[in-house]
Amino acid sequence: MDALEAIAAAVWPRSFSAAVPWLMLLPAVVLVGLLVLGLWDMADGSFRTLDTATFLPSDDYSLANYHRAFTERLFFTVASRSLIGSLIVTAITLFLAFPYSYVMVRTRSAALRKFLLIALFLPFFIGQVVRAYGWLIILGSQGMVNEALGLVGVSPIRLLYNYPAVLFGLVQYMLPFAVLMLAPALTAIPEEMESAAGSLGANWVRTFLHVVLPLAKPGFIGAGLVVLTLSLTDFAIPAILGGGSQDFIANAIYDQFFRTSDQGMGATLALLLVAVGSMMVGVVFALFGAGTLAMGRSK
Amino acid sequence: MKGDRSKAVTLWTFVTIALVMLSAPTLVVLGASFTAGNMITFPPEGLSLKWYAAIAGATDLRDAFLRSVIVATICTAISIPTGTLAGIALAKYRVRFAWGVQVYLLLPFTVPLIGSGIGLMLIFGKWGLLGQLWPVGIACAVINLPFMIWAVTASAASLDPDLELAAANCGAPPLSTFLAVTVPAVTPGIITGALLMFILALNEFLVSLLLVDARIVTLPVQIYNSIRSIITPDLAAISVVFIAVAAIAIALLDWLVGLDIFLKSK
Repeated sequence: MDALEAIAAAVWPRSFSAAVPWLMLLPAVVLVGLLVLGLWDMADGSFRTLDTATFLPSDDYSLANYHRAFTERLFFTVASRSLIGSLIVTAITLFLAFPYSYVMVRTRSAALRKFLLIALFLPFFIGQVVRAYGWLIILGSQGMVNEALGLVGVSPIRLLYNYPAVLFGLVQYMLPFAVLMLAPALTAIPEEMESAAGSLGANWVRTFLHVVLPLAKPGFIGAGLVVLTLSLTDFAIPAILGGGSQDFIANAIYDQFFRTSDQGMGATLALLLVAVGSMMVGVVFALFGAGTLAMGRSK
Repeated sequence: MKGDRSKAVTLWTFVTIALVMLSAPTLVVLGASFTAGNMITFPPEGLSLKWYAAIAGATDLRDAFLRSVIVATICTAISIPTGTLAGIALAKYRVRFAWGVQVYLLLPFTVPLIGSGIGLMLIFGKWGLLGQLWPVGIACAVINLPFMIWAVTASAASLDPDLELAAANCGAPPLSTFLAVTVPAVTPGIITGALLMFILALNEFLVSLLLVDARIVTLPVQIYNSIRSIITPDLAAISVVFIAVAAIAIALLDWLVGLDIFLKSK
């Protein structure tokens, strides 16, 4: 140990002590730096168009890709499909997440609370692909729902590879995020407020509308923005449950890189999505701080 | 209170819908893995473990699983020191430009996954690192690093600075103080963070998809490639591995820090 201390003192003398926190931050800064380098590379690529003669990115810079991104019909269709879809998903997810959080926070039974938490974390930890696979088994043309319908004489319905299937899968994917972001906001509301509203004659619907929901507003905004961003930028659910016909922006970006091999166009779309997504998450952080994810000294 | 009954009924209706939605895929995958048939059908054609025997013999699935474990191990091994040091630095010291540092370290969360994945793919491609597993582990560490830092700062907040001063006062040199006082105090955070990093990297799909080629697919990518063609029960059996790992992780998390921690407001 003494030898180690001697080495430490040699490479890290006390006069350096002001630099200590920076040295400790350095590895993390370098690691995230890879991401910054990647974004830089994307920015560079986004100004180069694909030379159709050589299938290489051009050497000169232009804004042609950005012009295409905003004018081409295909990108407009995909962008509006993603945006409308993620707005619907956000609304439904918040609507389902609120009662779940409320019951989880307010229940007096520790066992029920734990059960609800486990039901939340299990799908969260299983990953998107396995969950989507589960939905394929349930909703497929020879899936459980259609087989069950067949037993009562209903001919199979196409439940997969359409827009509602993608939205449904996204809602399921987003529920844990929304509940976990709403729960702290609901925990912060004193239960006495509700009792007070009740003893003043409000029924539970009015208590919810006029007391609980307004007080939980920050939680709703935070959860809503996170759900909106994550569903807007999702890849796996539209790819698996949409079957290629319901592409979201992330799928279009993937196709630019791996199907059309137009790296410049793909980089442009990715960068635009990064700008939109970062802005939305940035708004959450600016409004509420990083919330549960706050790193640093407690204030 | 008035209408308590209708309140309970309404709330529970929605909670039940949510519970069914959350659990249905997991339960169905579990059920399908035990089918005796060659196709996944409903009602099931009886019980058997034959698909578990099938995956034990399927080298492609087994190799893909091993690769996922390697990626998750590399990711965890990188994030533990990186995230712990950064977490302690942010929690303990009054760092200049702390706000800017936080914004920077939260970048992996603000940049959408497809953006991070493509960016890292371009960088690793330029450096000629694609086609190997360790860059995938590094990529997973980059995109999930905020979880690790968050877990460490959360537990470092309870670290009493007087303890470190006391240690120093008793003559302990800085490195000893750090290893004997500071690190043990944040150990619960390190374990929580490490657990999160491991499970998230094990499940990571999109970034893997972008960084691997056909020779080194990880398990989520392998499953994704397979379900696009034909759905057979062996995929359900291998998916149960994910479910089991997730269940173990939740049990560990609950035992170490308690799941209730996620309900607390700051």
